[in-house]
Amino acid sequence: MRPAPHPCPDRHQAPPSGACSQGLRRLGAICVGAALALSGIPASTALAQSAPSPAGIDYFEKNVRPVFVSHCFGCHSANATKVRGGLRMDSFAALLAGGDSGPAIVPGDANASLLVKAIRYTDPNTEMPPKGKLADAEIKAIEQWVAMGAPHPDAVAGPAVPQQPASGIDLERGRRWWAYVAPERGAPPTVRNAAWVSSPIDQFILARVEEAGLKPAPDADKETLVRRVTFDLTGLPPTPEEVDAFRKDTSPDAYTRLVDRLLASPRFGEHWGRRWLDVARYAESSGKESNIVYPHAWRYRDYVIGAFNEDKPYDVFLREQLAGDLLPSTNPDEQAERMIATGYLAIGTKGHNTRGEPQFRADLVDEQIDSIGQGLLATTIACARCHDHKFDPIPQRDYYAMAGIFHSTDTHYGTYRTPGNDHPSTLLEIPAGAKVPNGPTMPGPIRAAAEQQLERAESDMKDLAGLRQKARQARMPGSGVKLTAQEQQQLVRARSADGRAEASADQLARFGPDGRATSANRLAMGASDAAKPTDTRILARGELSTPGQPVPRGFLQVLAAPGDRPIRSGSGRRELADWIASETNPLTARVWVNRVWLNLFGKGIVPTPDNFGASGVRPTNQPLLDWLAVDFMEGGWSTKRLVRELVLSHAYRMSAKADPKALEVDPDNALLWRMPRRRLPAESIRDAMLMASGQLDLTPPVGSPVAFLEGADRNPVVDRALAGEALCRSVYLPVLRDRVDEMLDIFDFAEPAYVTGDRDETSVPTQALFMMNSPRVLAAAEAMATRVLGERQSEADRITRAFQLAVGRKPSQAEMVAVRSFFGDFAGAQTGTEGRAAKAQAKGQERAMWAAFCQALMQGAEFRMVE
Amino acid sequence: MSLCNNRFTSWTRRDALQALSCGFGLLAFAGIANQAQARALRRDEDEGNPLSPKSTHLEPRAKRIIFLCMSGGPSHVDTFDHKPRLATDAGKTLGGTRAGAQLLPSPFKFNRAGKSGLMISEIMPRIAEHADSLCLLRGMNTAVPAHAQASVLMHTGSFQFVRPSLGAWTLYGLGTENQNLPGFITLNPPAGNGGAQNYGAGFLPAVYQGTRVGLERSARRNGGDGGMPNLRNPKLTADAQREQLDLVQKLNRTRLMRDRSEDQIEGVIESYELAFRMQAEMPDLMDLAGEKPKTLEMYGIGRGNDSFARQCLMARRFAEKGVRFIEVNHGGWDTHRNLKADLERQAAEIDQPIAALLADLKQRKMLDDTLVVWGGEFGRTPYAQGNDGRDHNHKGFTMWVAGGGTKGGFSYGATDEHGIEAVDGKMDIHDWHATLLHLMGMDHERLTYRWAGRDFRLTDVKGSVHRGILA
Repeated sequence: MRPAPHPCPDRHQAPPSGACSQGLRRLGAICVGAALALSGIPASTALAQSAPSPAGIDYFEKNVRPVFVSHCFGCHSANATKVRGGLRMDSFAALLAGGDSGPAIVPGDANASLLVKAIRYTDPNTEMPPKGKLADAEIKAIEQWVAMGAPHPDAVAGPAVPQQPASGIDLERGRRWWAYVAPERGAPPTVRNAAWVSSPIDQFILARVEEAGLKPAPDADKETLVRRVTFDLTGLPPTPEEVDAFRKDTSPDAYTRLVDRLLASPRFGEHWGRRWLDVARYAESSGKESNIVYPHAWRYRDYVIGAFNEDKPYDVFLREQLAGDLLPSTNPDEQAERMIATGYLAIGTKGHNTRGEPQFRADLVDEQIDSIGQGLLATTIACARCHDHKFDPIPQRDYYAMAGIFHSTDTHYGTYRTPGNDHPSTLLEIPAGAKVPNGPTMPGPIRAAAEQQLERAESDMKDLAGLRQKARQARMPGSGVKLTAQEQQQLVRARSADGRAEASADQLARFGPDGRATSANRLAMGASDAAKPTDTRILARGELSTPGQPVPRGFLQVLAAPGDRPIRSGSGRRELADWIASETNPLTARVWVNRVWLNLFGKGIVPTPDNFGASGVRPTNQPLLDWLAVDFMEGGWSTKRLVRELVLSHAYRMSAKADPKALEVDPDNALLWRMPRRRLPAESIRDAMLMASGQLDLTPPVGSPVAFLEGADRNPVVDRALAGEALCRSVYLPVLRDRVDEMLDIFDFAEPAYVTGDRDETSVPTQALFMMNSPRVLAAAEAMATRVLGERQSEADRITRAFQLAVGRKPSQAEMVAVRSFFGDFAGAQTGTEGRAAKAQAKGQERAMWAAFCQALMQGAEFRMVE
Repeated sequence: MSLCNNRFTSWTRRDALQALSCGFGLLAFAGIANQAQARALRRDEDEGNPLSPKSTHLEPRAKRIIFLCMSGGPSHVDTFDHKPRLATDAGKTLGGTRAGAQLLPSPFKFNRAGKSGLMISEIMPRIAEHADSLCLLRGMNTAVPAHAQASVLMHTGSFQFVRPSLGAWTLYGLGTENQNLPGFITLNPPAGNGGAQNYGAGFLPAVYQGTRVGLERSARRNGGDGGMPNLRNPKLTADAQREQLDLVQKLNRTRLMRDRSEDQIEGVIESYELAFRMQAEMPDLMDLAGEKPKTLEMYGIGRGNDSFARQCLMARRFAEKGVRFIEVNHGGWDTHRNLKADLERQAAEIDQPIAALLADLKQRKMLDDTLVVWGGEFGRTPYAQGNDGRDHNHKGFTMWVAGGGTKGGFSYGATDEHGIEAVDGKMDIHDWHATLLHLMGMDHERLTYRWAGRDFRLTDVKGSVHRGILA
């Protein structure tokens, strides 16, 4: 089932860029005030003042506020019909935040204060109030007030006083939420049936089951177990030979050796890498309106698969994705790998036609924060973009502390200024010496299309100078010159011609005349530090038009001690990575072990894997979760070790057999008294189909069918590149947002616009229709029939073989009878004839009949389930 | 893999019906008939069929629901909840918890419509023509101002837990009249906002899950209706495919017999039977070419982005064929900014198609027993966000219903003078559910399903029927 919905979900439905508001409306000024009060970061001088004295406040109320009210608030307060210059003066925070020209006051320094400068009427560009200079006494009063340190009633709660902030977020209380308390390795509980226990994990499970007066399900039989663990570790079914070998292996360590073989298989990384790609919202296009193709995204995909295969420690894995470019590398290979890892930050959904660079950037940063928040920390940080988090102890300030890090980062996603794309960027160049493929080979037709596009773009630019001059003349009144409709169209086309020409020329340069990728294609998506790292300002209501106080770059206060890992230089991504991939972060390890658990046991210990906050669901067995998290960290953050530990547990080896009493007590199997029967992920259903038919090509392809493309996905060339069934594993199929492969989509593939820790599992007629009628299934069934007919001679052997290929077991006697009776009826049903005539025709139809039978096996519930 | 081999071969249809809780595929299992159609006919009279029409608790006012779901939170004060005070108080700031918020008058004019004189915004001129059929629910309110939660709450009655959707409950309670079509269809649902939860079956048997036709985003992007592929097998005759399916179901049943608790497998079995019947009926039903040009024109099909218009017409066709619950989705109502322009565009997309749907139902005498429901997960703030936008508002908003035994030309409930909070005829989502179920002939307190040791309801422990809207 889908995880609990993200509580800040404007982003869930083509949001107007920048808008993500939960409706709990607060004034920006109050938020800013709260942020100041919450600030655990060393405060600037402006904020370092102690609480103002009553006398100072009295001075303000008597001498300053009346001036503000009568001369300033008309344009600079919440009551103004239109706030001028972005400046409000009706709160202390608003004065500090200032307007378009910067902070209005620098407490303690009248001469440096813009407000004082303006009322002095010394700079003709800044004279306030505009209607006339204030009286000298009024000016003096304000100067004096600023010099006093601008005592203001709003500023009573200074940063030194850790009291309840105005926002209502109490960090100290927030830190007591279960997920923010560091996990501890508790002693596994004692159980009555100690003989059942083969791992501490079992104790945690069994204790609960026994407590409910239940018993764990009996062990799964060997055929079931080998199918389960092979799918779970590699995403593929075991071959009949593998099933047979395991069945016959009676040695005590047979299962352990099987598990170790599967962990060592390159298929492991493909399957588990894909689970990560769900979390990383991996895709090869931008999504949203324009859906611009990202032809280099596949390098990140391959990095992920490789990382799981080599069992890269999870903390290193995260560090590389967040800040690989900032980590020291000892050789070009490592440098390339870490550069590509940062593709994680670049592959998110983007609105390439967003109006205005600042908005585009703000949305880009938001997407990065959201993905990191939900994906790595199961925390909906992005909810705090427009206001303090509504459910979790995350003030808006924290959001902008993190936003500063990503505003100080250049995100490289490539693309060109083509129709629908106003925001291209550069890409990263992979170091020359690195052992990284240049890329796939460009098919001839696609090269021809690129050549055509280049020609067209160039011809659109030809004679342009003359045309532009004519257009200028046409605009002159009385010139008599007029553009024809054709000329007008040409002008429109010319606007995008530069970008189109560049895109096509680069495309052609990246792939040689023979189609092979050249060194010019050694490009990667990713991140690097911006030339000038800066802090960002809080945006009231998340809107660019209402900037507030700048916030020092940093992390979530609820998870960090004040002053923890201050960011002294650079973007701060390195520090962010260290903060997340850390044993002291209470979330990171828990979130990951929960994801791994979910992929093996069907449901997370925390049922909402992307949300450990107050709007998520609490863990069903927190001692177990915490034990696993600590054990995982102490075990060197090794995912393979964790997976091994889980699948070797007795709990994992239970059967799916239902016990009536247990069903009554715990129908949801929350206690895990049996292994749940699970629907296979879409990729496994497709892979298993191709594997049974003998068509699956296990060689990992280089690149992606979209690696040759540029521009929007609505393009016949893209259609051509995606046409036809590839025979590679599903993980290598291109993932274009809004255009996911039909079969994967129908079987609940992760929506690549979001972090997806838990996919939907539906059983709907559209799936049935696909399995019944899709040409892809029919082709696979025919190939399987050919295979079975070729590999075995007798009918019984062939039927048996087909069962083994499809579901990993021999047919029962009854099933054999059922299949034969199907054979008996098929010809008549297919030809409309009966009896002898049907039999005669059946001969000619043998292959069709076997194909129909093979397809029936693929259609069955057993084919798409693992138990 | 132990199979009850002897039983497998000797089971009769009666045995099967008694032993198993539901009926599709059972004839196939027993392999009695060999004509696909004959089987379909017999299946209809099958009392074990979880989808066959059921008797109701109460006299039903409506037989089916068409839910026009506007996701994003349509602004009530710019559409169906006229607030003249917003104009007179324009720019005024509020106090209390909303301190500083400035009231923003609607950029649109409201006009009296119909004999009833309901005030309806100028951006819905065609819908306004049906004012005398509308029953405006102006006292709506919901629990959360966040899209996904509010959407899931609106659809399932809970945003914390995975629960069956309104459509699934309806189908569970009433069954459906056409066994060749899904009883619950959702057209182009959004992938976000809770995704499949919004049409899920939760703990109810999977057979009650909504069938998704098309996806909202691709429809909006491509201007199509999503369509439904794979409705025809290019190789097998219907009879041969039936034989094939019988084999599939026999194999599926062997799993079920081992373990009767497995709803997942039951769900797979049902999905195939339904798919098999659907492929006979759906192609014609999805093909709008058979409609009169006048009808297409009435809905606005063939002009501009007609995706929603096609869905509305499709909804009418499904309704006519006996589908119990049809949800039609339209997104993009999240007007944080560009309120005026975006609302104009949004309204233009839905106004004519919805008006056409109402007219079409009327002329077919179907509006009397079809409950048309319009609305989104919440409304919007009467005060401004930026200069030209409104934020989420869950405390007061408007939905409307038409037909199906509701009062026409009627306004029920109200928000305060500015439209911030519901103050009169307050209807929360549980009340709304209870009332919709009531109109369909179900007592929300008696529509229960036993799960995890207790009887669950759509309305849980809440909800009351608002009789004031009943005709």
